[in-house]
Amino acid sequence: MEKIFKKVSGKIGFEYLYVLPALAYMLFFVGYPIVSNFILSFHEVSVLTLNSPDKEFIGISNYITLFKDAVLLRSIWNTVLYTVLCILFQFVIGFALALFFNKHFCTSKSVRGFLMIPLMIPITVTALIFKFMFSSNVGIINQLLQTLNLIDAPVEWLIQPGTAMFALIFTNIWIGIPFNMILISTGLTTIPVQLYESADIDGANSFERFLYITLPMLKPAIQSVLILGFIYTFKVFDLVYVMTNGGPVDTTQMLSTYSYKLSFSLFKYSHGAAVANILFVILFAVSLLYLKYAPIGEENSK
Amino acid sequence: MSMKKNLIYSVIFVLILFAAAGCSKTDGQKDGIKNVTIWYYWETEKHQKTLNKIISDFNESQTQIVVKAEYIPFAEFKKQLSIGTSAAKLPDIVIIDNPDHASYSAMGIFADITEKMKDWTDLNQYFEGPLNSCKLDGKLYGIPFGSNCLALYYNEDMMKAANASVPQSWDELRAVSKKLTKGSVKGLGFSSLPNEEGTFNFLTWVWSTGTSAFGINNPEGIKSLAYVSDLVKDGSVPKEAINWTQGDVMHQFISGNLAMMINGPWQIPTMRQEAPKLNWNVALIPKDKQYASDLGGENFGVVNGQNVDASLEFIKFACEPDRIKTYINDFGYIASRKDVAETQFAEDDKIMKLFAEEMQYALPRGPHAKWPEISNAISLAFNEVMTGVSSPADAAKKAQKTIDSIIK
Amino acid sequence: MNINLKISKNNMKNISLSLLSVVIAVIVLFPLYWIIVTSLKTEQEIFKINPSIFPHTFNLKSYFVQMKNGDFNMFRSFGNSLVISITAMLISVTLSVPASYSLARFTFKGKRICILTFLITQMLPVSVILTPMFIMFKNIHLLNNQVSAIIADATIGIPFSILILINYFATIPKELEDAALIDGCTRFSSFIRIFVPIAFPGVVVCAIFSFLYAWGDLVYGMTFIQDQKLRPITAGIFNFMGQYGTTWSYLAAFAVVTIIPVVIIFVFMQKYIISGLINGAVKG
Repeated sequence: MEKIFKKVSGKIGFEYLYVLPALAYMLFFVGYPIVSNFILSFHEVSVLTLNSPDKEFIGISNYITLFKDAVLLRSIWNTVLYTVLCILFQFVIGFALALFFNKHFCTSKSVRGFLMIPLMIPITVTALIFKFMFSSNVGIINQLLQTLNLIDAPVEWLIQPGTAMFALIFTNIWIGIPFNMILISTGLTTIPVQLYESADIDGANSFERFLYITLPMLKPAIQSVLILGFIYTFKVFDLVYVMTNGGPVDTTQMLSTYSYKLSFSLFKYSHGAAVANILFVILFAVSLLYLKYAPIGEENSK
Repeated sequence: MSMKKNLIYSVIFVLILFAAAGCSKTDGQKDGIKNVTIWYYWETEKHQKTLNKIISDFNESQTQIVVKAEYIPFAEFKKQLSIGTSAAKLPDIVIIDNPDHASYSAMGIFADITEKMKDWTDLNQYFEGPLNSCKLDGKLYGIPFGSNCLALYYNEDMMKAANASVPQSWDELRAVSKKLTKGSVKGLGFSSLPNEEGTFNFLTWVWSTGTSAFGINNPEGIKSLAYVSDLVKDGSVPKEAINWTQGDVMHQFISGNLAMMINGPWQIPTMRQEAPKLNWNVALIPKDKQYASDLGGENFGVVNGQNVDASLEFIKFACEPDRIKTYINDFGYIASRKDVAETQFAEDDKIMKLFAEEMQYALPRGPHAKWPEISNAISLAFNEVMTGVSSPADAAKKAQKTIDSIIK
Repeated sequence: MNINLKISKNNMKNISLSLLSVVIAVIVLFPLYWIIVTSLKTEQEIFKINPSIFPHTFNLKSYFVQMKNGDFNMFRSFGNSLVISITAMLISVTLSVPASYSLARFTFKGKRICILTFLITQMLPVSVILTPMFIMFKNIHLLNNQVSAIIADATIGIPFSILILINYFATIPKELEDAALIDGCTRFSSFIRIFVPIAFPGVVVCAIFSFLYAWGDLVYGMTFIQDQKLRPITAGIFNFMGQYGTTWSYLAAFAVVTIIPVVIIFVFMQKYIISGLINGAVKG
């Protein structure tokens, strides 16, 4: 095996050989959908012409129509608001928990393990659980708040424009905390213990150790957690689809759910594709920024 | 290091992957035997069993055609159908919600069966409303499966306890709903989802005022929006209804959380099974200017493909009057054929008789090629007033603008 | 005396931290407890105004309903989900470990483009990927076959794993690799013998996530596989939502049946996962 490998890698450069399988896989299966979606958004199609070459090219008029429509702007705003708030809270809480469980005490390992459970539940099931907990007449959240005398009457969480968004963000934070916690935790394990030991000798206090050792050493881990978290949160679908389906009255309509609705319940495929493309372009811009400022994987490369 | 070589390697890799994945099933057909696939979305066991019975009867009746049915959840139905269309991977028959029929016909998914069914004299037996939902521009694209409509269900015990009588007008309905609302029990509920299911329920209010589904921004349309908005403001209709399917509404009703509901007859088999002791009855939906209900039901749509003839064989078999009688009651539907409907219900079946009466006031939605978009505008307007986002006048204006841009 | 005091102080700290961690766990995991309790209640009890924290009677009816649900078989679909998720996980780990190693340790032409490509491939919402993928799978005759769901699910795991693993490989000190090369290791064997073991916690985490992404997938499994017998367990959700609407006790029981097996597997595997995380710490 090794011999064959050596022989082949000698010819095309082993760096490429390692990357190629994964790259080819992704380009083959996802590259085509991205390109076809892009093309679709500049055409006028019906379900029958969706897969045929004779589509009518109409330039950017799909985009113009969409931007005149208040729902698109609202979905962009909703998606941004949702993403920023989710990331902010789940990152901070997840980070804090990672630091907390990095200390050595009897239950540190086992409890951290149990906190992973929210991640294991299929998102659709999580959405169902929280839909139940937030429901106005039987929901435990209302009952809890009423018992604590924090509210007088049941709040209609998923039915009122403002609170529905809150409920979605709350649920997503619950899913996101272990995601952040576990990735930061594993990042913490790669920090050599000696660094802390020598800092102790230098008389650094715990805050200084955090600021000058933990944070810089974790920088790559933090960067990838944030960018991946951003991408996954920004294209949220299942959660919203099950909990509110964009309602009430589009107040939790996200770019992804709006694109879905346009394509699959209103049969406006080109509009659906254009909305997905807007989502894509926003994420693309953010990733370019990220790549510019985060020299990914360059610390030790030759 | 050349790119060319890289390309070759990646192609080889992908090929290996497929080889590994390979051995996929082919869609081959045995000589002479035609396979016909049906898609449907009924989720209750009773409906599924009844449909399978029709199919197995058909399969046993002849040797040329084998029919099988695949269940696609309602929430997935449109998606699966449009993806299947673009990939040319469709079933042969689709049992479809009747307001959607026209838009699929317009897309070219369904075959024009006008010529082929010309000699099928049974066609004269069909009621106009259901048959029209299968037509577009005078051409026939399907055959009605069965019909239903909405009526008012009420909990007799609650009605008695509140000393109320069955409402007949909008004013009475509003008053009675208010009277029946106590603690966790709400007076009235109907599915108010922002989709076709919601529109199905909302249109009864719209039509009762005398206006049409295409003209919302007029005193009548606004009145219907204002009426629903008032019911919610009174607390008689729970706001949560905007998240309820008709199945949810039925479950709320049999759990005793709703004193009255608007719903269809297909719920009755499940209601009797799950809540045999519940004391309930039905009445015509109270009217404003005129009685109105919504024509619901499914049609057989024949997909434009190679199996049109075989599919029609099955449909003709399933639509024989004597056969319809064997299954239509199990579905909780009203036959779309006059000859069957006349004798469908036993004299003492007061509940289904009421639905048959309500059927006279039931109007079809559309048919319009872009009905889904019109429907979306209507259900959105009602959702806006129910959640208090817009006033009835504003919601009507907005909906009308959308509708006008569609029908031009 | 002095030593005793120190120990008890450590003990105090240990106990209070442990207590605190348990409190955190209770708060975070409450929704799970709640859904289990709900699944054991009767529908009438769920609708009571002051909800009971424990069910009054253990009502197992909601679970029996799961057993007989038309064509949909809970156990079979659970097995389907396992097959799909494990295969997707294997594909994803096999492809992403070498790729991330190369991207982390070497500089070569087109490297940034590669990283960008992996980032990009996860940027389209599932709704628009569905149709083109469906067409592709139809052309290569993979529809109504679990392979289609496996392939599609792996496309979520691969870029994720690569972007996470790059960091693990990047933080491994260069000296370690040099030492290995001096010892006569080839690049390939230094990758297998040195890097993979050191980055093991990262590999485990990526494997877990790849598994979980596939496990939680609903849309791919439902769209590409029409045969009820081949569908993953998540596909059952729509059957239940359609059939039982807001009959919460049934839905809760469904949720529990979906969750519990994974949690059990996890609890048994936890020892290995956690030790992988902790022991993998770089000692160099």
